[in-house]
Amino acid sequence: MSHIHLPDGVLSPVFWVPGFIICFALLWFFTKRIKGEEAKKKIPLTGVAAGLMLIFMSVPLGFLPVHLGLAVLCGILVGPALGFTAAFAVNTILALLGHGGFTVIGINTLLMGGEAVLGCYIFRALSRRTGKTSSAVISNIIALLITTALMVLIVSSAVGAAHALPIHDHGHEIEAAHGAEDFSFLTFTGWSAAAIIIAAGILIESFATGLIVRFLSKIRPDLIH
Amino acid sequence: MHIAAIDYMANSGNSFLHRARPAVKVIVSLLLLIALILTNDIYKAVLLIAVPVFLLLLSKSNLKEILHLAAYPMVFSLIFALIRVQESWLAGLMVLLRALGAALNMLFLIATTPYTDIFRVFSYVLPGVIIDIFLFSYRSLFILLDKLSSMIRSIKLRGGFHPAKILFNLKNIAGMLGVLIIHAFDMSERLYRIYSLRGYSGKIPMTGSAAGAFGVSAKQNALLNTLLIDILLLLFSLIVLIGVLIPWKI
Repeated sequence: MSHIHLPDGVLSPVFWVPGFIICFALLWFFTKRIKGEEAKKKIPLTGVAAGLMLIFMSVPLGFLPVHLGLAVLCGILVGPALGFTAAFAVNTILALLGHGGFTVIGINTLLMGGEAVLGCYIFRALSRRTGKTSSAVISNIIALLITTALMVLIVSSAVGAAHALPIHDHGHEIEAAHGAEDFSFLTFTGWSAAAIIIAAGILIESFATGLIVRFLSKIRPDLIH
Repeated sequence: MHIAAIDYMANSGNSFLHRARPAVKVIVSLLLLIALILTNDIYKAVLLIAVPVFLLLLSKSNLKEILHLAAYPMVFSLIFALIRVQESWLAGLMVLLRALGAALNMLFLIATTPYTDIFRVFSYVLPGVIIDIFLFSYRSLFILLDKLSSMIRSIKLRGGFHPAKILFNLKNIAGMLGVLIIHAFDMSERLYRIYSLRGYSGKIPMTGSAAGAFGVSAKQNALLNTLLIDILLLLFSLIVLIGVLIPWKI
């Protein structure tokens, strides 16, 4: 859900260079923990999880202009470290296909991998107290809200918050007055519409995660940690 | 995501660009990408879009399929272009041109180079574990995509999907994805056993590391031909990059 699909050249190097550095530092930390006999089992599992994430994105949702990401579900299934690593593989393959820029792989991985890590830890904490289905839904909503807020923050910083807002004062009173007249229309068509689509996307993804977790809890409870 | 079509183009193509070394094509794509990011001139950006299109035409790739794929990032970048239009319409147009150019560059790379060769080039800068994950992702993707498409067809045939009924769809899709996850986990177990039997120790050996990415076939003649193509490609992309960096005043 929080996947940006930002093209190359929109974000300045001030954003994407640190994004790459932090992403590679985390990847180094996570992959260093996969060693020896454990690696033989976990590497194919991570690869399959990345394949699943890519496939979830191609599932049609009807008329809504959003697609499933299910990074939180992958985090729940394979754990935070492998979930983050799978997110990197997904973003690199997507960038090679032209879906999202090559320079924003780091930031996209931090957001998508962040969903997997956050969602997994919140789910683990909640599932000790409540049911797995509700824990999955709540952890998904919280993780998606945090990463989507981060995404909006990055995008508005990249394009300049003043330009990103539906009304901005250019220092001329006349323009500001015209802006105020247009405000309700622009708010409804622009940012409100985007907010409604994002909210619908978060709800659908959380609901889907809950349903899948409920299904797996009945059929293969060993998969849900 | 048209992965199968792209994979077919990369593996079945026989143009001189398909025969060029993967590492050279990766460098060329990156140089062209850098040029596109650095330029703020509309005319230069249009020319930089023409470069990968020209290369794709030379490679005899299916341009219709490629342009179809390149349209996706254009759609995604539309929102950023609309935001930038508030600065100036040129800034908005630049966002769209950069998105299209960058996508075409990447598509040129993957339409002329098999994924395994690209991953082999990446193995020079990324840890082996990550490369193995790429390879396993790619392998599992095709198997799972096949499974998914037959499941979707089955659901549609049984009346389980209706474009207007989101909740109804979601319930059925969740069940379908649940089955797919179980299948995927079983597949990962199977992959683990198969690779263990073949002596997998946590790193898939890249056969002919020098022979695939930086060198080529056994025949000297082919080697010389490829070397010439590589040098010409590198020179071409360097000229393009320098041409973009120099502020021309004619």
